[in-house]
Amino acid sequence: MDNLTLLSPFTLDDYVVTVELPLRKQGCSPDSAMVLRYGAYVGSVVLVYPSLGRAMDTAREHISSREESGRSVANGSVILASSLSLSKGRFCRSWYAPPGGLWGCLILADTFLAPFRNFLPLIPGIACCEALQQFGASEAAIRWVNDVLIQGRKQAGFLIEGFRSPVYGEQYHLLGFGLNLNNSTFPAELQESAISLTQVLGHPIDTVSFGLSFLAKMRYYIGLLLYEEERWLARGGGDTYEEEHPILKRWKELSDTLGKRVLFGYDVMENPQYEAVVHGVTTDGGLILQHDDGSTSVENSGEVRYCRE
Amino acid sequence: MSDEIDFDEILGKYHSDPYEYVDIFASHTGKVRFLVEEGSSIEAVSGEWKHIPGTALFEITRERNPKKVTALTNGVVSSLCSEHEGCFVEAGEKLMTIRHPLKKKEIIESILKEVLFIFHAPERAKYFFSLDVQSRIEKKSAREVSIKPGDEIIIMSLMKRDTPVYYSGEKGVIHSVYFTPGVSVDQGAPLIGVCPVDKLPLIKKIITRVKADWDKKE
Repeated sequence: MDNLTLLSPFTLDDYVVTVELPLRKQGCSPDSAMVLRYGAYVGSVVLVYPSLGRAMDTAREHISSREESGRSVANGSVILASSLSLSKGRFCRSWYAPPGGLWGCLILADTFLAPFRNFLPLIPGIACCEALQQFGASEAAIRWVNDVLIQGRKQAGFLIEGFRSPVYGEQYHLLGFGLNLNNSTFPAELQESAISLTQVLGHPIDTVSFGLSFLAKMRYYIGLLLYEEERWLARGGGDTYEEEHPILKRWKELSDTLGKRVLFGYDVMENPQYEAVVHGVTTDGGLILQHDDGSTSVENSGEVRYCRE
Repeated sequence: MSDEIDFDEILGKYHSDPYEYVDIFASHTGKVRFLVEEGSSIEAVSGEWKHIPGTALFEITRERNPKKVTALTNGVVSSLCSEHEGCFVEAGEKLMTIRHPLKKKEIIESILKEVLFIFHAPERAKYFFSLDVQSRIEKKSAREVSIKPGDEIIIMSLMKRDTPVYYSGEKGVIHSVYFTPGVSVDQGAPLIGVCPVDKLPLIKKIITRVKADWDKKE
């Protein structure tokens, strides 16, 4: 088992103060301390398991059992496991999660305003990409919505599932994450499409340090989401958010999807729908696709695969 | 929902005026410039992926950012609020009405929407039935799948965020499905129409009567 137990709320707080905050202050965000305070609940509880079936299921059970005993789950709780035996991606695709990776689930109560929820799925991709670059994988990039690729192969995947708690009826976002770090062997069907950080760097990395970096960045960007919500409300709010959100701006900087010719589909592996060129993204994160006849359409849901050039 | 329906009155209404009047509103604040006139023919959005825009109806400009708004439905501009031409309007201001000619299927759906409980899309997203409901539909048919308030019936998918949608409405069977899995649905658009089991004979009667009446007319 990895020493994931070293990844605790205390070590995360320490990492945020000693590493993340100074890094943010070097950037151009003057309110980084405030933003990190807004996101401080992320990782306020960290539950570490040697192995699990599926972290999302454990999160559901955790929320349910807390409520059934008359308590509620701490918002921002993180569930981590050294390995997962029943992990799966969207559309029940297999996800291989042996020891060496960072596998888990972040529990977020749905306290977000409607116009801002669309930015939530962008956050794990940004956080992971930044952490990878910090650890030396400078070529890491995001494929819409939040797949993280290195050398065209998937290093990390994320999914968000909604869950309504059984007793109090509270709505949660369960943010599942799977990051290939020190695991270097994949099943035959994934060998061409998956990659781990250790394969890229040529040496193993400290899983706990990487986990701290990833969670600190999750804390920053979820804080930024809430911080921007407050600023937007102070300006009068409304039904939609028409400006370019700083999260979307950062996503654009880290994504290599813009300008690419892609195959689009709701479930692109099973049912690819059409090829088009990515013309841009809308202010709410939707993909603007230009068809071969010059017309464009916007897709807010689905996935893409890059076409070979 | 009443058991008694005055078929002659309903059908008479559609015979005398077989159109739907679709009001078009300003999507946000801005200065409006109309691109159609009263009486103009309007083409609907088309293409396999709904990627070919319909007729451009108006341009709305906010902060030097002009946005052309195009038609989603076909028809004729039956009224135009021309007093707004070149003026600044608030979001939600009515700008025109399109008279859309109804087909037989649309008339049936239109009548059914008045008698079924319609469950609407909470956000613009893609929708699909939850695994449980989908497997029940596959085993039988949607019209034999009973749902009640609180049931997880549909998954809303938006930006790789899948959220269960819980039914709130009358207990009944899923009579009409208005969405196609994998195709975006606008916020507020109908997702399903639910019918209490004891009202099913009435619904069948409506469909049979409208079909017979329309076929006779045609």
